[in-house]
Amino acid sequence: MKVLSRQARLPHEAPIEARGLVKRYRDVPAVDGVDLTVQPGDIYGFLGPNGAGKTTTLRMFLGLVRPDAGSVRLFGREAAKDGIGALQGVAGFIEEPRLYPYLNGRENLQLLAAFDRGGQGEAAIDEVLEMVELRDRGGDRVSEYSQGMRQRLGIASCLVRQPRLLLLDEPANGVDPAGLRYMRELLGRLSDEGITILLSSHLLAEVQQVCTRVAMISRGRIVYEGGMDELTRAAGRRYRLEAADIDRAARVCRSLPTVDDVRSDHGELSFRVDDDDGLEALVAALVDARVGIRALIPETDSLERLFFELTDEPVAVTA
Amino acid sequence: MIGGALIAYRWELRKLIAQKRNWLGIAAASLIPVIFLISIQISKVTIHPPDGPYDTPLGLNLRQTGLALDLVVFKLIGVIGPTLIAALVAGDIVAGEDMGGTLKTILVRSVRRGEVLAGKALALLTYLVVALVVYAVAGVLVGVIAWGFHPLINLSGHQISALHALGLTVVALALYALPVVAIASFGLLLSVVTRHSVAAIAGTLLYALALQGLSALSPIASVHPYLLINQLTAWHDLFQTPMAGDAIVRCLWVSAAFALPPLVAAWVVFTRRDVTT
Ligand SMILES: Nc1ncnc2c1ncn2[C@@H]1O[C@H](COP(=O)(O)OP(=O)(O)O)[C@@H](O)[C@H]1O
Ligand SMILES: [Mg+2]
Repeated sequence: MKVLSRQARLPHEAPIEARGLVKRYRDVPAVDGVDLTVQPGDIYGFLGPNGAGKTTTLRMFLGLVRPDAGSVRLFGREAAKDGIGALQGVAGFIEEPRLYPYLNGRENLQLLAAFDRGGQGEAAIDEVLEMVELRDRGGDRVSEYSQGMRQRLGIASCLVRQPRLLLLDEPANGVDPAGLRYMRELLGRLSDEGITILLSSHLLAEVQQVCTRVAMISRGRIVYEGGMDELTRAAGRRYRLEAADIDRAARVCRSLPTVDDVRSDHGELSFRVDDDDGLEALVAALVDARVGIRALIPETDSLERLFFELTDEPVAVTA
Repeated sequence: MIGGALIAYRWELRKLIAQKRNWLGIAAASLIPVIFLISIQISKVTIHPPDGPYDTPLGLNLRQTGLALDLVVFKLIGVIGPTLIAALVAGDIVAGEDMGGTLKTILVRSVRRGEVLAGKALALLTYLVVALVVYAVAGVLVGVIAWGFHPLINLSGHQISALHALGLTVVALALYALPVVAIASFGLLLSVVTRHSVAAIAGTLLYALALQGLSALSPIASVHPYLLINQLTAWHDLFQTPMAGDAIVRCLWVSAAFALPPLVAAWVVFTRRDVTT
């Protein structure tokens, strides 16, 4: 007879469960009824243009700001009832991480480890400094750090808490391309270790590359919530075709049911297909019709266009 | 509750020490008696008839015994001296973290807001005590070096031994600290409420000046003994023969009455407010 492990019998508690969150500043809602559920293991993208209410939502998650209505539970605990205890196993930062500039990196981590009351010793601090590649700069004052180093120390300050849930507000802001690549790798590694991650961003590409689920927020309201691949599918995929006979190519495209939204201008053809099968069928049809294909180029901005449509922002002209 | 407050207190002290700015107050506290001693040494004011510093309580002891220096300088630095030192640290202790953004960093760990504030209040108290002790030690040292360790003529005209006067000076220092702590607690409240260091520091100075203004208003002369500023001279009772006790007891409760409401208000605001910087 199998005995359920203790773990398995524990009621399932979502890392984040927000219901009807509202926050107004001078009667203007910054967050206007946000519902959000993050499941264990998610790398959850919280996407929205500047001013949409991402930071305010995260402040409420972390108990820095009191909601005017609604509730947040982190692993089943509520800040209103459990106070600071609601943040057990939770770490994160709001906007850019802020540490004491007149203390060195190591002292900052020592301070925060002491404030965590978890008994993490010097070994844990060495380990996280190593992890964020600041081991040999730990003795320097934070005022001497570059922005990228501060960002990494900010991540270290979260990791020293040994969190099960990590909340990062625009972690990509002000980080150079090498830093971004490093950040992506690190998030992947942390996720592999079982840490649930929520990160906010105003950059679709950022979220697209790392996240498994996504919520889009606009003017304080959630306008989309779902898996990243569903979203990609919903956006469809756009391609650009360069061909010798563009008119014939356009006729072929319009004749196929799997190809939508065909546009042609300046001797270039662009259209949408929903999946790989549709694309293969199109290429076969083009070959059958003896259209000389010179280039078939996937466009990356279709998701972006959907993002702008959903968030009600004017469509930016992407380069 | 105690554990978290102690963690916050310990780190609050380390932060105070790490910021060079805070050493200014300590440096000023040690230099003030030295500067006054030098200026008395080189000045032309006369002891007969008593003029300038000689015309203050215990002023006639200047140049006669080093023990007089600290006590006379208390009068000369007035309300602004101690208020400046208290305000600079108290006004910044919360607002500085608000403006620097570190408040949001420490408030999402495992120490409660009330504990953070308690740690800050204790660190502020420690700083003030250290500044006063530095002042007293510097004053006694340079005073005794310049003028010797001699008996003191008290306010009633009686001579008291040097050792006795030294002991009374220690008690006088403790009494003097009480209204200063009360002013600092108001600075702490402003630091919490204004979220801006400069505003809180300026506000604390204005508060002390306003209290001083009140103590100069003759229509309310009957309440003067109960004004905070007047507690700065409560220690005079120690240097009377026979020693009076009323002013000392009043200093205890009046200082507490001025210190506690701002502390409670600071706690109420700090534990409830949104952190949005
Ligand atoms: N402390 C505040 N006081 C007044 N308005 C605020 C405050 N914080 C945010 N807001 C407003 O709330 C809205 C949402 O802001 P924010 O949560 O920072 O958005 P995001 O992080 O998505 O850029 C904005 O319109 C912003 O101007
Ligand atoms: Mg933001």
